[in-house]
Amino acid sequence: MAEEHERPEHANQAGIGRRTLLRWVVGVGAFSSLATLALVLGTVKPQQTSQRDEKIKAGDVLVFALGPNKGDPITSTNASASRPAGIVIVPEPGQHKGEPIIPTSVGLGDVTLAFPRGKEMHDNLIILIHLKKSRFVPPTHLNWLPDGFVAYSAICTHLGCTVGYSYEPMPGAGVPYPHIHCPCHQGMYNDMAGAEVVSGPPPRPVPQLPLALNAKGELVADGPFDGPVGPLPGGR
Amino acid sequence: MQRQGLGWFEERLGWSGFREKFLDKAFPMHPSFFLGEIALFSFVILVITGIYLLFSYEPSAQIITVGGRSFPAAYHSVTQIDKQPFGLIVRQVHHWAAHLMIAVVILHLLRVFFTGAFKKPREINWVIGILLLLITVMAGFTGYLLPYDAFSVTASGIGYQIAASIPWIGVALAKFVFAGQFPAIGTIPRFFGYHVVIIPLLLIGLIGLHLLVMIKQKHTEPSSSRGRVAPGRLLGIPLWPQQTSLMVMLFLLMTGGLLLIASIFPVHPIELYGPPGPQTPTVKPDWYFLWVFGLLKLIPGWLEIHLGGTVLDPEVIGGILLPSLLILLIFLVPFLNRTRERQNYLEPVTKHPLRTSIGTGVLMLLLTLSAAAYQEVLDISLAIFRLAAVLLPLLVGIATYLAIRLFRGWRSKTIKRAREPLSSDR
Repeated sequence: MAEEHERPEHANQAGIGRRTLLRWVVGVGAFSSLATLALVLGTVKPQQTSQRDEKIKAGDVLVFALGPNKGDPITSTNASASRPAGIVIVPEPGQHKGEPIIPTSVGLGDVTLAFPRGKEMHDNLIILIHLKKSRFVPPTHLNWLPDGFVAYSAICTHLGCTVGYSYEPMPGAGVPYPHIHCPCHQGMYNDMAGAEVVSGPPPRPVPQLPLALNAKGELVADGPFDGPVGPLPGGR
Repeated sequence: MQRQGLGWFEERLGWSGFREKFLDKAFPMHPSFFLGEIALFSFVILVITGIYLLFSYEPSAQIITVGGRSFPAAYHSVTQIDKQPFGLIVRQVHHWAAHLMIAVVILHLLRVFFTGAFKKPREINWVIGILLLLITVMAGFTGYLLPYDAFSVTASGIGYQIAASIPWIGVALAKFVFAGQFPAIGTIPRFFGYHVVIIPLLLIGLIGLHLLVMIKQKHTEPSSSRGRVAPGRLLGIPLWPQQTSLMVMLFLLMTGGLLLIASIFPVHPIELYGPPGPQTPTVKPDWYFLWVFGLLKLIPGWLEIHLGGTVLDPEVIGGILLPSLLILLIFLVPFLNRTRERQNYLEPVTKHPLRTSIGTGVLMLLLTLSAAAYQEVLDISLAIFRLAAVLLPLLVGIATYLAIRLFRGWRSKTIKRAREPLSSDR
């Protein structure tokens, strides 16, 4: 018994016991392994997308985002209702059937999705609506509506889906008129009144884009959106 | 001849002890005890079909041009898989097996909850089980993106935005998980890694642990087995050959059933959905996320919580905070229970009316929220749904409580009546 007691005492005299030493070795080893792992993981960078991260500026020409005339500038020259419309997001049944003409504009009462040319990124997507100018009321910026074209960001401020346009009034949701409609969570915006949220979860309107016409009669941006695009990062 | 062959192995492995110990292991019998096995076999089917898909899938969102049309490479590779002789059916079985696995894991959880099988000493396996459910759901979420069609890109985009709405760390976290701001070119390779390596490894490890703990602690028994064998012994059928033959039959039935369902009911037809474009299709999430989707719809846009210099917006409240609270509560279930004795028999649902009514109430809440996801189809106003989401769960909970009370009162009377002649005989 006495001998067994002596050994640990002896070890203590030498400085640190073997167990303490081993615990330290394991602890330091584990810590440095985890730290190395964290450092290595930290160097894992997301791949760069080929598209440059560019915001809309004044002078950017608007082009169709989809359809047969994708990439073509949108003009205001043939704005009469007799010509076929642009790519209607929610077409009315039987409308524009059998028309071979590829439109260069968006007819009165029609809607399309557009991009600023050369900056075709999700966050730059625009919903372009053509109505009689007299139908718009504030808070729409009334001096940003050449020939009754209005442009809003097409990125829903709720969770970033692309909004669409509903020709169907939805009186059940308290929206008895056609409106900008997000298919993800039924957010509804009144395009005639500055895209005010009229139903559903979006926290704020989609921002409006100032529009103008260039010398060729093409729709161009006259500046950036009047607010941040899409959902705001957490905590704001 | 066969004996000699086994003897050859016996000589080298000395496994007769192992065989006696494990091949004779007793499996208590109850139909609900197959739920865990169905979940396990779904996983096996998912691994087998997943390996098949792995041979031809291309994890890349780069745009490629085929026959004059442009597609993301991942989307195109899945359409090519669908054109292989067995490709479409294998992909459909994979998708259906994923639904089945999540459904059965949830049913397994409900069985354990309502019969009190989570009580001491099985708290550890309850926690592992909930982790398994969460990881299985993550497998579903990551797998949903891989075909990279219009629907899956929309769904993952919503997931990205919900993650990014977390205060302070949200954007950094979402950018790390999705390898950049979604839709980023790096998202698909990273999700592919999660879906085919990291998540399956975690699942295999945790399933192994779940089974080891179950073997060590022994399975719970139906209360009808009480007192029929010596204490410390289990009443059940041995692993070999009875239980094994049942398992083989179950596995084959499941494989056949999934093939049948996959041939009759196509799921996620990506050719119909098309590649992702600028437009967002009208998309509903998979059924196990519907309750979060409904919750996001019901929470009004103006609801915000201001907290220590930051703002919790409705997306964090509905998409992160409330679901996390529910999950935390589920984790805590066995620790809220204060009984000290070991629980080895299933409890009838009538034994703990409060537990049973909380369970049915929460189920009703999840069902109401899931129905709210279809609010615009059902044409019921949000206000009515908000009211229903509060009232219906309470009503169902209270009704369950009262029903159990009534049932117990009625039963104790009948038992008394049945015992009366006995006592008068004495």
